[in-house]
Amino acid sequence: MSEETSRAHGRRLNRAWAVLAGLTVLSVGAALLGPDGQRASLGSVAVALVASFVKGRQVLDHFLDLRRAGSGWRGLFNALLLVILGSCFALYLASMLRSGGWSAMGP
Amino acid sequence: MNGETENWGALSELPGNPLMWVLILSEMLVFGAFFIGFAVVRLLHPEMVLAGQGALSIPLGGLNTLILVTSGWLAARAVHARAEGGIGRSRLFLAGAGALGLGFLTVKGVEYADKAAQGLGIETDTFWTLFYLMTGFHALHVVMGIVVLSIVGWKNSVENLETGAAFWHMVDLIWLILFPLVYLLR
Repeated sequence: MSEETSRAHGRRLNRAWAVLAGLTVLSVGAALLGPDGQRASLGSVAVALVASFVKGRQVLDHFLDLRRAGSGWRGLFNALLLVILGSCFALYLASMLRSGGWSAMGP
Repeated sequence: MNGETENWGALSELPGNPLMWVLILSEMLVFGAFFIGFAVVRLLHPEMVLAGQGALSIPLGGLNTLILVTSGWLAARAVHARAEGGIGRSRLFLAGAGALGLGFLTVKGVEYADKAAQGLGIETDTFWTLFYLMTGFHALHVVMGIVVLSIVGWKNSVENLETGAAFWHMVDLIWLILFPLVYLLR
């Protein structure tokens, strides 16, 4: 906390919470707009995954204060988040293509 | 935590006790394997997973996400307050964080009771086995986190608070990945 004032640190934590809460409401709202019991739209899936990555970064950088660590640590945790979410998204896309889940996806 | 300067190499750059970061990395790898396993099950049995997800409540999952991120914010505010010398304020923030953790477990209990009433148990099919394993394992971490927050609220040096709050943020971080993968990606 040597390079920022206590008040600025407090504001940064409050902003991080606002981003986390806002993205949660956005991703839940996007998911609830879809019809019950059917596949989610590609748009709402993208919103959910991007929101998850951004929220993960907020927790790491601000709540866990990874900003104080070197770029190597931040890169490692970002890469881990990307690998987990990216793998799950790739497998999700594969399952949709395999099962014909999105009829509107074709050319 | 004894005030001596220890050389943890690259781990020394990280806030709080370096061993907590080893735990955070380990937990992310373990849960990451769970999540990728779940995605493979979706690839192999898409209709089974879609049917299972249809029985999940997105609003309850979203509510629990809001509860956890707010709890994480309070834990971060507790560390901030303690670093400024506000021991009483930091304990109040920690108590709020722990209370919200109990709120998360209550919502999870309501969700489990609803699924049990519908006859959806751990042996129903692979989706429900993974659902209960992942969310149950995470809920156990929430219980452990509440215990850790209580301990560091009592022995509340700045380093102890940073370390305890780091565990809590790790629990938060895992839920932020689990929720969209299990509840939202249908």
